Amino acid sequence: MDQNPRPKTIIETLGEEIIRIITPVSICMLLVVILVSVLNTDSSSNATTISSMATMAYAENTSDSIWDKIKGALLNSLVFVAVVTAVTFLLVLLFYLRCTKFLKYYMGFSAFLVLGFMGGEISLLLIQYFSFPIDCITFGIFLFNFTVVGVLAVFMSKMAIFVTQSYLVVIGMLVAYWFTLLPEWTTWMLLIAMSLYDLAAVLLPGGPLRLLVELAMSRDEDIPALVYEARPIVTDDSGLVQRRVWREGNLSENQGHSSNEGNIVDAEQGRILREDSELAAPLIQHRISVRMNSNEDSSENIALEGIGLGSSGAIKLGLGDFIFYSVLVGRAAMYDFMTVYACYLAIIAGLGVTLILLAFYRKALPALPFSIMLGVLFYLLTRLLLEVFVVQCSVNLLMF
Amino acid sequence: MTVAAGIGYALLALGPSLSLFATVISQKPFLILTLLSSTLLWLISLIALSAIWRPFLPLKTASLWPYALLILTSVALQEALRLLLWRLYMRLEEILDAFADRVSKPRLFITDKMQIALAGGMGHGVAHAIFFCVSLLTPAFGPATYYVEKCSQIPFFFVSAIIALAFVTIHTFSMVIAFSGYREGNKVDQYFVPIVHLAAGMLTLINLASGGCIVGIPLLYVLAALTLGHCGKMVWKRLAESRRRQGDLY
Repeated sequence: MDQNPRPKTIIETLGEEIIRIITPVSICMLLVVILVSVLNTDSSSNATTISSMATMAYAENTSDSIWDKIKGALLNSLVFVAVVTAVTFLLVLLFYLRCTKFLKYYMGFSAFLVLGFMGGEISLLLIQYFSFPIDCITFGIFLFNFTVVGVLAVFMSKMAIFVTQSYLVVIGMLVAYWFTLLPEWTTWMLLIAMSLYDLAAVLLPGGPLRLLVELAMSRDEDIPALVYEARPIVTDDSGLVQRRVWREGNLSENQGHSSNEGNIVDAEQGRILREDSELAAPLIQHRISVRMNSNEDSSENIALEGIGLGSSGAIKLGLGDFIFYSVLVGRAAMYDFMTVYACYLAIIAGLGVTLILLAFYRKALPALPFSIMLGVLFYLLTRLLLEVFVVQCSVNLLMF
Repeated sequence: MTVAAGIGYALLALGPSLSLFATVISQKPFLILTLLSSTLLWLISLIALSAIWRPFLPLKTASLWPYALLILTSVALQEALRLLLWRLYMRLEEILDAFADRVSKPRLFITDKMQIALAGGMGHGVAHAIFFCVSLLTPAFGPATYYVEKCSQIPFFFVSAIIALAFVTIHTFSMVIAFSGYREGNKVDQYFVPIVHLAAGMLTLINLASGGCIVGIPLLYVLAALTLGHCGKMVWKRLAESRRRQGDLY
């Protein structure tokens, strides 16, 4: 069509970092919705009562009155938040005492538990549901290999970024599915309580996550935690955009040569951005700012919450955020798909707002509050108002 | 009826949008963000509408005028939303042009502006298809199907998918027409869009009569084709004009 190639305008690359975070979040949510809608259709709502830390104070029963349920759910979530706060402070202490090795091993161990046991349990449920013919030994070998590669991906930093990212999404999906098995009121209260806790822990001066971030920044170290890092984009002198394939710990001064998307073999070194390449600048920073929060379930997983900017300039989103977003959407899926779409849009809007604030303030921010609050709001509005309206219009075939 | 049928109905409503998304919009991340934001805004307008109408639902009357009023208020609100979007877009364009100057890249071309309008319109269309058709498809994945008495020849899911496809087309391309009309000050384009939207909404009132969908749906597609044709003609004219003016495609 064109004789001469047109110069590229800014809308070709603007917003790319945001899309690189929104895509894995959306994939995780989609997977959880599919799991929930496949595995929960044949079981009644309270057939599987999970007894765990989250339901320690009160086990919900469908025959209780609404006030009892609210009180019980509140009690449950307070207990949960208290446990999470205690463990986060423990983590800060361990990090302060430079027990980083212990934390790394613990992280690998929890990834092993999640992938091995939870992944195995959910695979068994799926095999049962689809009547998939597979024998124990093959299944055992598959599961073992899958788990070990996952632990290596979480542990080592020399793994292909795509593998690490996929495993993190899978871990998030498994933990989120487990959370959706909790009773309904408890889940909603838990989400709201965790978002308030996140707000307090990151922004208040005495909050554990803020202490952790400041410790990490003062020592110029990486916090050992489960964090999703979007593949960073680096612009070099000629304005060509390179994408790193191998994750490197340090930045070095060598220049990688340009490669396009198809050429994955080249490993490139990250390069510190100059002032003139402002295209990627608003969302890129040199320092690490990541926060950690420990997220307890029955297998005591360490996950990460919060959003920050990585050392190579990539946006980092903690795995806890993935998990709680997917829990909200999974719970919405247990009601109806209209709530799923509404909550998905609300969560993405909240994430977008958080990312814009991140570009403004350039320090660690809690990623949960906006999205969860908007998600809960949209869930209620859809369930109470929108559904009746849309069904009434659609059934009469009136559309606009 | 089965998973295959459910997916089929969803693709019927959203298929062309999906291919448009894959070829045009997914190449530029900014357009994806525009699509998501415009979908969100449409959803908010729909929630506001349902909040207004909730006390009166479910409408149990057999007469026409409550439904007509419903459609009238809905279309009015959404056209007001379109004006609001235009104001927001003008500010966004200024910000983007200032940013482009700062990083010494070229300003937005006319094709870029039209693509942003297309993404915005597609956001509206996709939101319509999702909330009016796809979110009600859950029973279609099961073993049975559902018929409405007023339109008993074809399953309900099929009818709503076809209507959704027509509306997706209308929404997507009328945003391009509207933005171009507001930019040029062309009154024909500016009034074309609300009139077509209102006409399309009112045409669905024919579906209230028994067997009315046999008449209503083809007329709806006539309107969709009209929107598509008008948009194509207008875009061609604008591009030819700008090519003459600048001696190049952009």
